Amino acid sequence: MTTPVLRRVVRRETHSPRSVAFAVVVLIGIALALYVAVELILALAAQPALLVRPMAALESLAGLPSNAPVAAGVAGGLVAAALGLWLVILALAPGRLSKHEVDAGGRVAVVDNGVLASSLAQRVSDEIGIARDRVTVGVAHRSVDVTVRPGAGIPVDKAQVTSLADAEIASLKLARPVRTRVRIARPDDEEKAA
Amino acid sequence: MNDTNRALNRTVLMIVGVILLLGGGAAATAAALPAVGEVWTSSGKAVLDGLRSAADATKIGDTDLSWAVIGAAAVAIVIAVVLFVGLTTLVSRRSRTVLRSSGSQTPLGRVTITEGFAADAVKNSLAREDDVVAASVTAHTVRDEPVLHVSVTARRGADPRSVVDHVDRLMDGLAAVTGTDTAAYISVHGGLRSRFASDAPRVG
Repeated sequence: MTTPVLRRVVRRETHSPRSVAFAVVVLIGIALALYVAVELILALAAQPALLVRPMAALESLAGLPSNAPVAAGVAGGLVAAALGLWLVILALAPGRLSKHEVDAGGRVAVVDNGVLASSLAQRVSDEIGIARDRVTVGVAHRSVDVTVRPGAGIPVDKAQVTSLADAEIASLKLARPVRTRVRIARPDDEEKAA
Repeated sequence: MNDTNRALNRTVLMIVGVILLLGGGAAATAAALPAVGEVWTSSGKAVLDGLRSAADATKIGDTDLSWAVIGAAAVAIVIAVVLFVGLTTLVSRRSRTVLRSSGSQTPLGRVTITEGFAADAVKNSLAREDDVVAASVTAHTVRDEPVLHVSVTARRGADPRSVVDHVDRLMDGLAAVTGTDTAAYISVHGGLRSRFASDAPRVG
């Protein structure tokens, strides 16, 4: 029994509100609008402009293709377009936060991915007897990565770690199923990588 | 948890993004292709001429003032004010409420539980848990319904399942005492506080 109200709470808690981007865009918009108003009023009062007269600014914008060097025009346009594309992506992408919903009976619970990861790492380390700082766990939205770096000559059974991690993840009762990937990093691998 | 209008946030981002994308793309192609550049310049000239004639047509007497320019300045100020109002909705929209739950009427009277009591009860009980660094309870109104939010900072390596189950049992107990099962939302966090907290005390 999870009510629509609780579904709404979970959705809001696991997705970004995009407030920061909104605030930045709106602040820039306010600054621009105020600046335009000031320039217009200065032009009305026949006072010298702060930076540029509104009409002169529009004229230079209209004459951009012939006045400005081609490279500068293209680069400026592309930068503006890239910024616009980024904003469109921000507007449309789900913006999932790194949290997982876990089953909590009639209530709802959301757990940070970091908490899930550190709990899994602790369990794996306890069970296979490898120091906690040699187990690295990453929890993402759809997958869990477990990396164990046993010291030289210490045997670790990958299948055992996998079944251990799978059992632990199952006991967490995540609302969305995740894929488990286990990697045993051997010292010689580390050397090769280094 | 707050009532920030997320649809508004995304709509504004979308509109500004599309304007920048189209404007930037048009400017880039106008600069790169002379044919498109001609169109850009000629349409820009047309717009400018339109603006000039509008300014001339609305001149006030013999002065340099023009209603069109005054209007444009007023529009710019109105836009700034509207944007500012939009920005304030972001900060001021808190959904915190005080929760009061009244139990059933008994021969001795009625028991009323406030949010403060519920918060203290849950916090004190959680404080005894080894897995919990800190906990807080707040009440919110979501779509006119009260919702309790139990926020728990878990110790590093703590089992979130047992933390959630523990809070769930506490809420069951609270529901039994108050007589109403308020909708509850549990969040388990990690972060700096759990990283710097000491390891769980070990027995044995």
